[in-house]
Amino acid sequence: MMSLSKITRCKSRNRTGIVPAVVLAIVLGMLTVPAALAGQVYKLRVDGLACPFCAYGIEKKLKAVPGVASLKFQINKGLVVVTMKDGATLSRQQAQQIVRDAGFALRGFTRG
Amino acid sequence: MKGCRNSGGGKRVQRRRWGGAGCCRVPGIHWAVLGGLVAALGVTLGLTLGVAGAWAHGPLFSAGPETIWKGGTEITVGLHDERARGHGHEERERETFLEIEYGITPDWEVSIELPYTWKSEDGFSSDGLGDVVIGTKYQFFVENLPGAQRKAAVFVNAKWPTADEKTMPPLGSGAWSVLGGLAVGYEGRRWYGFADVRYRHNGTGPQGLKKGDTLFLDVVGGVRPVLTEYDEPDTVLMLELNWERSARDQRAGVTLADTGGWQLFLSPVIWWTYRQVALKGGVQIPIASELNGDQPDADYRALFEAVYHF
Repeated sequence: MMSLSKITRCKSRNRTGIVPAVVLAIVLGMLTVPAALAGQVYKLRVDGLACPFCAYGIEKKLKAVPGVASLKFQINKGLVVVTMKDGATLSRQQAQQIVRDAGFALRGFTRG
Repeated sequence: MKGCRNSGGGKRVQRRRWGGAGCCRVPGIHWAVLGGLVAALGVTLGLTLGVAGAWAHGPLFSAGPETIWKGGTEITVGLHDERARGHGHEERERETFLEIEYGITPDWEVSIELPYTWKSEDGFSSDGLGDVVIGTKYQFFVENLPGAQRKAAVFVNAKWPTADEKTMPPLGSGAWSVLGGLAVGYEGRRWYGFADVRYRHNGTGPQGLKKGDTLFLDVVGGVRPVLTEYDEPDTVLMLELNWERSARDQRAGVTLADTGGWQLFLSPVIWWTYRQVALKGGVQIPIASELNGDQPDADYRALFEAVYHF
């Protein structure tokens, strides 16, 4: 028969083995879940983008599209990066209309 | 739309704008003022003559071809100040205004401007609602290039004689005026260039007074010293050359001697923007003029505007 102190030590060893595994699982989960939830990314190549002040019309119109999670403008590259919410999509026709209504021209539309 | 702002004003202000003295004047003090203003850059007050820029950068004292996006609204609050002296006269006009522009399509916008004016002339002063201006602009050509746009637009503004012309000095002329024109422009990441021609036709006011029609020609260059990104404050510097020539006024068909003539202005302008907010200002400095008869010379015209669009 094991003594009470031995049993306690044994349980303690088992616990020390389980805890890192749980932590690892949580960390991996934290890393993978957002990636799984993150939506599709679209890169809009926009002609006519000359200044930040002018680009606000695109921001306003894109933010009104259901499913748009975030926007990133790279004026010097003429690029607008649109990240959608999980499951949401943006069509080329939608992007073209938005860019046109904002006073610019859509030159390129790529996904991913 | 500021195209008609200068068509208001008291008798003497209008005389200065639309007619005047005889010889060509290039006052040396103006160069000193110009130097100080260019050095200061932040000192940006002025008066507008043109159809100022909407959502994009454009000239301040002349007309630009830009229009606001479809469904976009732009609100501008402005202050202008101008003074003229000489030949025993001194005139000063200050105005604050609210302007609202709306984009019906990406190429077509409408606007309304509501001014409040203060005037003083030779010891007399008055203030009140100025002449309301309604306008529209249509961009009939646009070429979108990587990081740049070439565009051209036609526009027309109508000034409604809402200001009281019976005050001393008069706050308005009591007559309608219509300004129309053509503007072309290039807007790039680094460089800007604009040109326009405008013509203002003035109606006949009380006592049969008809202000002389005015022709405007403007050329503008600009530069963005630092190519900033979307989430950074952005600064653009411009230099305008504004020429205007007015015919003599007429009263009951009789031409008035001390009216009409031409003036040439050099106008440094600064734009500061952050996302949808813009602050812009400049000063028109007279560098040459030939005014008919006895009229005070323009001392300066300055404009400051705060813009928000959504």
